[in-house]
Amino acid sequence: MATETLTPGTPAPKTPEAAAPTAAKPRRVRNRYLRGLLSPRGLFGLALVGLIFAAGLAAPLLTSHDPTFQTADALRGPGSGDHVWGTDEIGRDLLSRLLYGIRTDLLIVAAAVPLGLLIGCSLALVATTHRAADVAVQRLFDLLLSFPGLILGLTVTAIMGPGKATIITVITIIEIPSFGRMLRGAILVHRDREYATAARVGGAGPLRLLTRHVLPNAADPVVVQIAVSMSIAVILEGAMSFIGIGVRPPDPSLGGILAEARPYLEDHPTYALGPLVVITALVVGLNLIAEALNRGARR
Amino acid sequence: MTGYLVRRLPSALGVLLLASFAIFLILRAVQGDPAETLAGSDPSPESVGAIRHELGLDRPLLTQYGAWIADVVRGDFGRSYIIGGSVNELLAQRLGNTVELTVGALVFTIALGLLFGVLGVTVKNRFGQTLLSAVNSVSLIVPAYVSGFLLVFVFAITWPVLPPGGHVSILSDPQIGFQYLLMPALVLALPPSAILARYVKDGLQQALGEDYARTAKSLGIPPRRILWRHALPNALPPVLTVLGMQVGVLLGGAVIIEAVFAWPGLGMLAEQAVTRRDYPVIQAVLLFLVVVYVVVQLLTDLAYALIDPRVRLG
Amino acid sequence: MSVSSLATSRRTLLRAAGAGAVLLGLAGCKSAVDENKSTPAGASGAPKKGGTLQIGSLVDFTPALLFTQNSFTALARLVFNTLTSYDNDLRPQPQLAKSWQVAPDGTSVTFQLREGVKFHSGRPFTAEDVVFAVNNLKDPKRSAQLRATAAVVSDITVISPTELTLKLAHPVSNLFDLFEFMFITDRESVEDAVTGKKLIGTGPFVFKNWTPGASISFAKNPEYFVPERPYFDNVEVRIIPQADSLLSALRGKQIQLALGLSGRDIAPIKSDGQFAIQEFDTGGGAIYIGANVTVKPLDDKRVRQAISFAVDRDRILQQGLGGYGLASSAPWPKSSPAYSDATARRYPHDPARAKALLAEAGAANLDLPLAFLSTSSAVAQMIQFDLQQVGIKTTLEPLDPAKFQAQLISQTMPALWAGAHGFAQVHPSTLAVSAYPFNEAKNTSKFSDPRYTEIVQRAWRQADPDSAQAKAAYQDLSEVLLDQQFVIDLIVLANLHAATSNLQGVAQNEFTALNLDDAYLA
Repeated sequence: MATETLTPGTPAPKTPEAAAPTAAKPRRVRNRYLRGLLSPRGLFGLALVGLIFAAGLAAPLLTSHDPTFQTADALRGPGSGDHVWGTDEIGRDLLSRLLYGIRTDLLIVAAAVPLGLLIGCSLALVATTHRAADVAVQRLFDLLLSFPGLILGLTVTAIMGPGKATIITVITIIEIPSFGRMLRGAILVHRDREYATAARVGGAGPLRLLTRHVLPNAADPVVVQIAVSMSIAVILEGAMSFIGIGVRPPDPSLGGILAEARPYLEDHPTYALGPLVVITALVVGLNLIAEALNRGARR
Repeated sequence: MTGYLVRRLPSALGVLLLASFAIFLILRAVQGDPAETLAGSDPSPESVGAIRHELGLDRPLLTQYGAWIADVVRGDFGRSYIIGGSVNELLAQRLGNTVELTVGALVFTIALGLLFGVLGVTVKNRFGQTLLSAVNSVSLIVPAYVSGFLLVFVFAITWPVLPPGGHVSILSDPQIGFQYLLMPALVLALPPSAILARYVKDGLQQALGEDYARTAKSLGIPPRRILWRHALPNALPPVLTVLGMQVGVLLGGAVIIEAVFAWPGLGMLAEQAVTRRDYPVIQAVLLFLVVVYVVVQLLTDLAYALIDPRVRLG
Repeated sequence: MSVSSLATSRRTLLRAAGAGAVLLGLAGCKSAVDENKSTPAGASGAPKKGGTLQIGSLVDFTPALLFTQNSFTALARLVFNTLTSYDNDLRPQPQLAKSWQVAPDGTSVTFQLREGVKFHSGRPFTAEDVVFAVNNLKDPKRSAQLRATAAVVSDITVISPTELTLKLAHPVSNLFDLFEFMFITDRESVEDAVTGKKLIGTGPFVFKNWTPGASISFAKNPEYFVPERPYFDNVEVRIIPQADSLLSALRGKQIQLALGLSGRDIAPIKSDGQFAIQEFDTGGGAIYIGANVTVKPLDDKRVRQAISFAVDRDRILQQGLGGYGLASSAPWPKSSPAYSDATARRYPHDPARAKALLAEAGAANLDLPLAFLSTSSAVAQMIQFDLQQVGIKTTLEPLDPAKFQAQLISQTMPALWAGAHGFAQVHPSTLAVSAYPFNEAKNTSKFSDPRYTEIVQRAWRQADPDSAQAKAAYQDLSEVLLDQQFVIDLIVLANLHAATSNLQGVAQNEFTALNLDDAYLA
């Protein structure tokens, strides 16, 4: 339930039919998405996300400070000495922490989203093979969704101990049902479409039918979901840091810096400003991308 | 609909039982038990043993689970080991606080949803429309802790008119309680209000396009009157259904808001109980949330059936 | 765009909050944050009677921990009394006990109890209640840290309802630490007390009710045995589990006293004349690094000493604790009989010496795990950084409170851990027999040494805690701890009361229990 609130989500709920084209040819798939992304808002989203992730990747080039190096100069504001964005409560360079923090988030996103996608979609495929499998998978999704995301996070962290691996596990668990349900629904719809029936009559085997005809069309909402999931991963990392189950210190992460900045909101507002702006920009950018993909797919 | 419910119930109960067992086992798999927490700072191992025995934690796992589930079926969640007091009372009190927050958020959701929905059809110039759509998107996607931080920064620090967190029950002291409620309720209300605004806008556009509205317009009835007296009431029923679906979302979304604003609701209770291994409390909270989820799930399915035109027509 | 969308969202929020402010105005301007300007700052004069004291606390009452020293022991003294209480020089003063005589050989003590004292239930307080209290502390499930000392009481003879004699198995130097610690509770309702239903004592305030996670309220005990006390009619405690919200409640004068704030938390009001910060050097405990001496190369005490030299205690005090506390390599606060400047400064920040000691011990390329309580990561990160500067790499392992406690008790801590211990504030022998990290028989460090055992027992089995022999034993205890460094003490923490400046007469005992007998709002 918590995940649903955290879910930026695609606009107003819609049935899979609305999101998918009636019968596009698989060959044109890439073009459709590209056309969506090349809209002004799509480009803007891409630029935001690309810029932030590039800054994270290029962190060692952009700053000479070690994000864990401590000095006696604690809680300095921007522009003090050679600390462009100031220092945190134990004298670490904030710009460097922010840039390396983006890296941490990037790593979490890059691990959790593909994992959730892979497991969720595999389960969805299994579900569409047999009625009994469908019931079992559906109940599993129900079970996973029934725990509010953060309470699930607390429990998993109590078992595994905090750290990147735990955060990746939690985010993966949360994303499995969203990918799974989406693909399952889309497959069920497309399997009964005229073109699929036509292919079946034309002698296509079940596997060929699935891979050549159903999946390419059913994949649309899943592709959109990838961008949405990336933003959920960023949001969840922050939320987990906030309730004290974030990445292990001294590693920086966007949510971690924000949580650490909380006591200094009054005296050092710029401390929290960095992660606030970056998290917001990332989430906005990823959602613009999701919207653009969605529009492209619908065309 | 009743038939539908009857068909869904067994599997819902199955999810519940499965979840309760999973909760129970997972907790026991975690290192650190309540006896160790209860032994206080610098305890001796004998003390821990004595407390463990006192709590019955040295009995076989299945016996413990059986005893717990038997009590739960009778409606008794037992006594908290660490936080203290009866779990039923604890749950009721914290649930009360969460409900207070949820109701506050619901009021904001309705107010903002209607406001922005109506603005969506009345604001005609392009700049206004762009602005509205930007506000809508941002409200929908910005994480609660980001909007929470901004609110705290503006209204508790830069211009200190509201407390940055904490809770005073609105029932015991309405004036002060209201001020504590304002920020967390607003933050919680932002995403669902954005969703609601879209539905209101779509509903209004549809209603304004219907024959009676066009007839009314041609009869010279002022547009404002058409909007408020005719279109809005017609657009409301599906909107109410959407609102109902958002209640579950609000209840669950409270976890992070409670952490940001130190609001002592269910989410905070869960956090305290997990980190201190207060088994009876965690078990009760998790089970309760699963029940809420399953019920909301059932209601949502019903609601979808209600607003789906094919169901309505068929 | 991101900035502009933030701006637009803020605008919406502003509008909404503006509406709220209007509503507030209509409601008559009672604000949760506006300061009550009518209160004169720091007014003096005769104590004022009556009124309600509003306290804010970061932590909630945990009834199951009633007989265990914990972060909420603070409020127990409102409801309960002890037999005696220490003055500033650790000399016992009468409370429920009027007078007492300790046998010259230290193996028995006879108490004459105050007459006419009644529990809040109306039942008279008698010698039987003291018998119950001692036996209650001996019960392992109460997990009282002074259980070892209570267990020395081998026999109790009740002479009359107001007189009794406790026989001891052997003399102990910390006997009156036990009577400072031991709350006299109504024996008939003790099971209700540990579940939080009823707290019945003889103290200045009567427990009214407790709403877990929200509030606790107390009302004046009209039959309190100290005449004309307490001044307050009511004490209301609000649980505010977040430092900045607690501070904001204090700044808004919704509460007059905030408990549990750290030196870092109170920075914004440090120089504000409307508030007073009272600093106690007792009861806050001490931050230390524990070393598991069975892990190589920590079995070599030179490596442990190197760690002690490597850590910059002053920086931890400033950056980690806002400057409140005492950087010290010994566990003792300044008020302890064992305190000396020399022991406190035994291990100054000296990376060169640390490196030399490591080289001498032949320890190179160290990579050790360092466990810490996940709720206090700044200090652990500073320790990690300092150790890295002398070539000791550490991997931080955050543990939640339950896990930390489990590993501490079961002796399964990794090579190093950062934690806090208590019990150095009273007689030094209490630390060695009551604080688990220091226990000579079994401790988390798995440190065992016949010489340490001998010194601990010698310091403990003294009939007179102030004798020259006892003092020599305390000195030996300090020396052996500083030499062995299986517990590497860093900072003696301060216990802070942040209050409005018109709150007068607040005191606390050695175990941080708040004494409001003489408190009033000027």
